Amino acid sequence: MKKHSRNLLSKSAALSLSMVIGLVAWAGSANPAQAADQVTLLETGSTLLYPLFNLWVPDYTRANPGVRITTQGTGSGTGIAQAVSGVAQIGASDAYMSDQQMKQNPDIMNIPLAISAQTVNYNIPGLNRVHLRLNGPVLAGIYSGAIQYWDNAKIKALNEHLKLPHKKIIPVHRTDGSGDTFIFSQYLSFSTPSWNDSTGYGTTISWPAVQGGIGALGNPGMVQASQTNLYSIAYIGVSFHAQIESAGLGTAVLENRAGRFVLPTPRTVTAAAHELLSKTPTDERLSLIFAPGAESYPIINYEYAIVSKRQASPEVAAAMRKFMLWAIDLKGGNSAHYLNEVRFIPLPASVSELSRKQIAQIQ
Amino acid sequence: MRVRPIRIFVILVASLIPITLAAIFIFLTLYSWPAIQFNGVHFLFGRIWDLGNLYRNPVMVHGTSVPLGANYGILVFIVGTLATSFIALLLSLPISLLVAMFLAEGVQEQFRPALSLVVELLASVPSVVYGLWGYAVLIPFVEHFLGPALASVAGFIPFFSGPVSSGYGLLTASLVLAIMTVPIITSTVYSGLIRVPREIKEATFALGATRFEVVRKVMLPSVRKNVIGAVILGLGRALGETMAVLMVSGGALNYLPGTIYSPITTMAAFIVSQLDSALQDPTGMAVHSLAEIALVLLMIAVLVNIVARALTGGQGHVAYG
Repeated sequence: MKKHSRNLLSKSAALSLSMVIGLVAWAGSANPAQAADQVTLLETGSTLLYPLFNLWVPDYTRANPGVRITTQGTGSGTGIAQAVSGVAQIGASDAYMSDQQMKQNPDIMNIPLAISAQTVNYNIPGLNRVHLRLNGPVLAGIYSGAIQYWDNAKIKALNEHLKLPHKKIIPVHRTDGSGDTFIFSQYLSFSTPSWNDSTGYGTTISWPAVQGGIGALGNPGMVQASQTNLYSIAYIGVSFHAQIESAGLGTAVLENRAGRFVLPTPRTVTAAAHELLSKTPTDERLSLIFAPGAESYPIINYEYAIVSKRQASPEVAAAMRKFMLWAIDLKGGNSAHYLNEVRFIPLPASVSELSRKQIAQIQ
Repeated sequence: MRVRPIRIFVILVASLIPITLAAIFIFLTLYSWPAIQFNGVHFLFGRIWDLGNLYRNPVMVHGTSVPLGANYGILVFIVGTLATSFIALLLSLPISLLVAMFLAEGVQEQFRPALSLVVELLASVPSVVYGLWGYAVLIPFVEHFLGPALASVAGFIPFFSGPVSSGYGLLTASLVLAIMTVPIITSTVYSGLIRVPREIKEATFALGATRFEVVRKVMLPSVRKNVIGAVILGLGRALGETMAVLMVSGGALNYLPGTIYSPITTMAAFIVSQLDSALQDPTGMAVHSLAEIALVLLMIAVLVNIVARALTGGQGHVAYG
């Protein structure tokens, strides 16, 4: 009896083992046939560009079934890092790479896909429907701890007709490597010499010590942190305007280089872009922050796709070129249908031409 | 006598554990060596963490290439880690002891397995779920209710005085960690309590002690080593907890917490949130410094365990003979 059950046990073990091996072999052999037709692209990075990619990808992949694109919103720092390391084919970033990084990675290109903007938002009970007037030096004062209360003289001087509360300001910043931090800190640096000397700009900066200052992860985190903390101030990408509105946050009017206070409307963003587009170099690394011009909005930027000139295979390279050319096409990704939802503006023709030249180098 | 192959095999497999620990230590030390040399002792006591200006060219400092203005100091994170773990244990230890005492003596025998299962289920909840719950529920609760209540009751002590500016901070992070360590400490202490021999308990009853006195004066002291072991286990989890703390701690940078409501950052959470920024440093010093943070965290954990060994006299559990 014992021998029989032992036999049975060993027989069933052998049977199940062979079934598992068979399954694995079948699964393994089935895939290569599929993989030959399907190209998978991974896009990761900027949370500011992420909503636009999520509008692009479903429509594009429906029209181009041979390609599958995965999107992630992880922050511009991650976008750059993973594009450089090769993990991601497209690294989305609001920040261009530094000279040193370009030297170290000569195969990497920064290709603008659209032009975006950033808003400064706050959560002050009673004042969220009003547009507070702020400028670079005041924001630098807030984020450096020099200006601690909302009714500080410098803020009152800009908003004489408003009753500001005597409450401590809670500055919210990004903890992750962030293109939004890059463009915000550039605005502070370009407008305030003391900030430029002490803190400077970057995707990560050493935020001055402000008691109670909060760090959040990603643009969604910024909205959440601002929403749950009264008297806070945060910098949030314009593609999150819907979340900002439903959270009930106020949006500031910012002072531009010409001394006028403006909101990020298509007119003001386009004005700023046009002032600087002639300065765009062939590698397209240019800051659009604090542009001259009476109508210009001060915080706008190129949204970059960080890509490598060398791709894993010709199929991947071809898929990438096709997708990116579609993305910058005024009838494709750069059409009003997509950009209006995120409040971006399309690339001007000359810049789009430079992007096309860079895209052609993807092999 | 011929050494049997099975014995060699078992020894090899068993030695994987100390080898792995040594390998981790060695890897971390080697990987962070450039940072150890550059930072020196200032690393542990410096309040400012500055990756430097990553958009300017790097400079040479003491023979190593670093970004301009780079200055790595982790005092803020060490304080954040130790403060959250300490306060979490302070909150969870009394609760765990009471729950363990209740489970061991306060309920009838038939209910014990079910109730202790409930406690252990708490331990199996993934930490990121705790973080999400803390993010969604605890933060508003602390900001609008618990914080102001605590400030009004204990506000005369500077550490507890308001204003409670936001729900993110030391208090919320400690609460989340406390809830995560309660099941660990409870189940360890409970398993020690049920092993106390019946004869001891019956003898104490015979002397006229009440049930609470039996537990307090005889059972708990006999599981003292279990309690210390449990505290160390809980401390180990609290020190290394990353995601849950990251979501509720507030991400403070460059300043030490002034009150219990201040935002903080822990070492583990900082490594996670900074890694991709650090990868942008062309000189690589930022990544080496992050590895040095990991090394410091590992050393703190090992130190805590050594102290535990010393306190329990080398035994993790009391063996009643």
